Amino acid sequence: MLFAISFVVPLVGALVALMLPSDARGNAVFQCLMIAGSLSGIFAVGLWCVASLSGVPVQLFIASSLFGETFQVGFLSTFFLGIIYVGALLASVYAIPYLAHYERLYTIRWLNVASALFIFGMQATVVSATLFVFLLFWEVMSIAAYFLVIADRKSESLSAGFLYFVMTHIGILCIGTGFFILSGGDPLASFSVVATRALALDPLAAGIAFVLILVGFGSKAGLVPLHQWLPYAHPQAPSHSSALLSGVMLKVALFGFLQALFLFPYIPLWAAVLVVVVGLLSAVFGVVHAAVESDIKRLLAWSSIENMGLIFSAIGAISALQHFNLFDATPALVGLVVFVVLHTLNHFIFKTGLFLSAGAIQFGAHTRDLDYLGGLAQKWPTFSVFALALIFAASALPPLGTFFAEWSFLQSLALLVAAAPPVVALSALIVLSVVALVAGLAVFTFVKVFAVAFLGRARTKETEDAQPLPRLLVLPIGVCAALSVLMAFVAAPLASLIANTETRGLFSSLNVLPDASLNATSMWFVIVCVACIVLFLRSIGTDTRPARITDTWDCGQPLTPRMQYTATGFAAPIRFFFRALVMAEKNMIRVPVVESNSWITKNTLTWGTASLWEVWAYQPLGRGVLVASRMIARVERWSIHFYILCVFIALIVGILIAL
Amino acid sequence: MIFFILLLQAVCILLAAPAVVGLVRQGKARFQNRRGASVFLPYWQLLSLCRKEMTITRHSSWVFRIVPYVVLGSAVVLALVVPTLAYGVVPASISNIFFVAAVAAVGTVFLVFGGMDTASTFGNMGSGREMTLSALIEPALFLTFVSLAIGAHHFSLDGIALWMALTPWYVGAPFVLVSVAALVLVSLAENARYPVDNPATHLELTMVHEAMLLEYSGPYLAMLEYAAAIKLSVFLGLIATVLVPIGMVHAPFTLLNILTGVALVALKLAIGALVIATIESLIVKMRFYRMQEYMAAAFMVAFIACIVAIVSVNNIL
Repeated sequence: MLFAISFVVPLVGALVALMLPSDARGNAVFQCLMIAGSLSGIFAVGLWCVASLSGVPVQLFIASSLFGETFQVGFLSTFFLGIIYVGALLASVYAIPYLAHYERLYTIRWLNVASALFIFGMQATVVSATLFVFLLFWEVMSIAAYFLVIADRKSESLSAGFLYFVMTHIGILCIGTGFFILSGGDPLASFSVVATRALALDPLAAGIAFVLILVGFGSKAGLVPLHQWLPYAHPQAPSHSSALLSGVMLKVALFGFLQALFLFPYIPLWAAVLVVVVGLLSAVFGVVHAAVESDIKRLLAWSSIENMGLIFSAIGAISALQHFNLFDATPALVGLVVFVVLHTLNHFIFKTGLFLSAGAIQFGAHTRDLDYLGGLAQKWPTFSVFALALIFAASALPPLGTFFAEWSFLQSLALLVAAAPPVVALSALIVLSVVALVAGLAVFTFVKVFAVAFLGRARTKETEDAQPLPRLLVLPIGVCAALSVLMAFVAAPLASLIANTETRGLFSSLNVLPDASLNATSMWFVIVCVACIVLFLRSIGTDTRPARITDTWDCGQPLTPRMQYTATGFAAPIRFFFRALVMAEKNMIRVPVVESNSWITKNTLTWGTASLWEVWAYQPLGRGVLVASRMIARVERWSIHFYILCVFIALIVGILIAL
Repeated sequence: MIFFILLLQAVCILLAAPAVVGLVRQGKARFQNRRGASVFLPYWQLLSLCRKEMTITRHSSWVFRIVPYVVLGSAVVLALVVPTLAYGVVPASISNIFFVAAVAAVGTVFLVFGGMDTASTFGNMGSGREMTLSALIEPALFLTFVSLAIGAHHFSLDGIALWMALTPWYVGAPFVLVSVAALVLVSLAENARYPVDNPATHLELTMVHEAMLLEYSGPYLAMLEYAAAIKLSVFLGLIATVLVPIGMVHAPFTLLNILTGVALVALKLAIGALVIATIESLIVKMRFYRMQEYMAAAFMVAFIACIVAIVSVNNIL
């Protein structure tokens, strides 16, 4: 019943939003409605969890006369429903002050209609039971997201939206084709029917279907090579929608992929390895681009690519391991599952929080370019604490929840290296090195964000004059920060819940392999102990007079804010070291002021980075299509006799094929 | 009793740390034909810094003020959990290899914050460079630890020390030697020593670590200097533990055992400090923009160590 309420609320919300005035008050009413809907949804998910934990198998089906069974709620969908509802709740709370501020920029009525349909589409996708319903609501979600991307109607939003629109339709085409290969061409088949039909499929067809499905969901989840839309499109949406796009919609793509995986009777080894490779490539490209990016929201979008890449590579690794009889490595398998679950949750929490923070920064300082920010920690102390927590979560540093997930991943890979046969061990070692590189660069990326935006001095007048943020705007960010701290404590029980069936988990204090355990309580215990030691060391015999406030040491020449390192400068070494990957180019053009004197010159510095995929794959492809169409266009101008000839040949070929 | 030993291990490192720094300086001075300052000078430096008044720049925020605590805290955690004096005393969960690496990373991150929260170009430059180095050394650090873990069948440093101490040296020798080579490369980078950074300069554009400390003064500076000394001692102690796990304290604890253990730790750290001094006198600092070569080399050595460990564990040859 509660599910039904929360399910219908967005639809009602869309209608209500149409009737409400397109101003701050109308927005507030609409967002309150959405909050109520999300709360009832969260409550329903909670009830479902309690019921299923207490042993009652809950399986909900909603059937309609037209399509047979339409919706179902299982374990997987409840998990993702929970993510959707929490995300919608946070975004709605945030949108009340946020959209009121940008009343003139956005047409609030249509923006709200689009976001209501977007949320509706996501939850309907997650609970749909047949292929047709799934694809229908997937499309609803995608198109609503398109309108979120172009909400501010700027030219760059429109071009980003167009790129997204094309990509998402390539995606749905692949997903649809993949599904129909599996179901034998029946669009109305339910997922359980498809799974049974897929048993009879020959390996080649199954392989093609798998690749299509990987490409389709990968295009939505931001996996290479179809990731290029993400850093353009996600930042263009209003921040609360970006949070939903990056924090939640990517998870829906993940859900779709997981559900599709369950349809296959088995995953061939090459396919699993393909997933790992694609995931790792995405992670590396995502994180390197994030490290050199200066636009906060685009940086976050690149980091989403990285995180989804890591999750997909873990999924691939799990499927690959099914092919080996690894009795020693069962904990590693469990650890990988733990990583997927925990990291999905964690990434949702910190990415939502960080996108909301980016919006708050834009709200207060009127820019989202790190090169113009600075000194925000002095202006907004509370907000900066929350941001620091989220930054720590995003860098997977202890003692926050993300660290446990990443630890689980690394530890599982290390277990595989230690206990698996050499071939598996070597592959795990390579994966481990890539993941370690990605982890290091992720720390770099998020340290850069915090250090440049929040520390030091404001780099521009706008940032200098930033006003305090409204409470309601900071509240959801605080909730995200609190959740990411909490995840550290949830990690261990959740992991043992996942692991308790046959194997004892990595996280429990008794373990299969010696020393592979970790839990938040002991970690916090250490932190408290060490804090005591440090404070003790600090208090004995040291100077306790209040510090003298002075200027920064300036070599006798006053410092200006422009002298500080910008985000661009901070990332310069990384841009240099990874110049092949990010295609960094720097050109100094010297034009002599006087022809005869080559020493006095006017210098112009141009520099920039580009996407390898865009330059080497997208643009050649685009050029190829243009050339091909020009050649076909030449045919167009020929005489009618040629057309008749063509029809005739087509007819003959058709008859030949038919015979 | 175990808690006592654990505390003793931390206290040993905490007490010895300034002397290690002093010894490195003394050793380098001797290589340069100077008499050098007393080995115990760093103690006096720290104590006198503690009694000085602090100045804090007006362009800094609350982050600047918590940095020394977190950095020193991270160093103290390392001193506690990394087996330098004893084995079999640290719970496996908190001396897990990835946890130790992450704790070191937390210290680095906050040091970087400290350098960025000054609004000075010097501090910013140091921060940017330090973060780059620490991000790029991460794969090598992880793989070095993993190679030790594979070979020793333990995923905690404590367990690794236990295995090293209980196994005859020739069993582990092949991978231990390569791992230690990688560990030395990683330690030099982690502790801002040659060829990655020059710890002796204060006004060179090459500096990394010292640039970040430039705005700190008084007790805060003492805490940060102390943290750096502790970290160096911990890494030296770890290398010594892996290479020569002789005379380490273990259960059942006897007074004699503990006393020889402490004396041997002092000896190992002293030798380690002199080795560092030798290394720093023999090689020069690399250009910063060639650092990726160093990191790649460290990574390759660590990778080879892993492969050697896999081979020796699986008895392939």
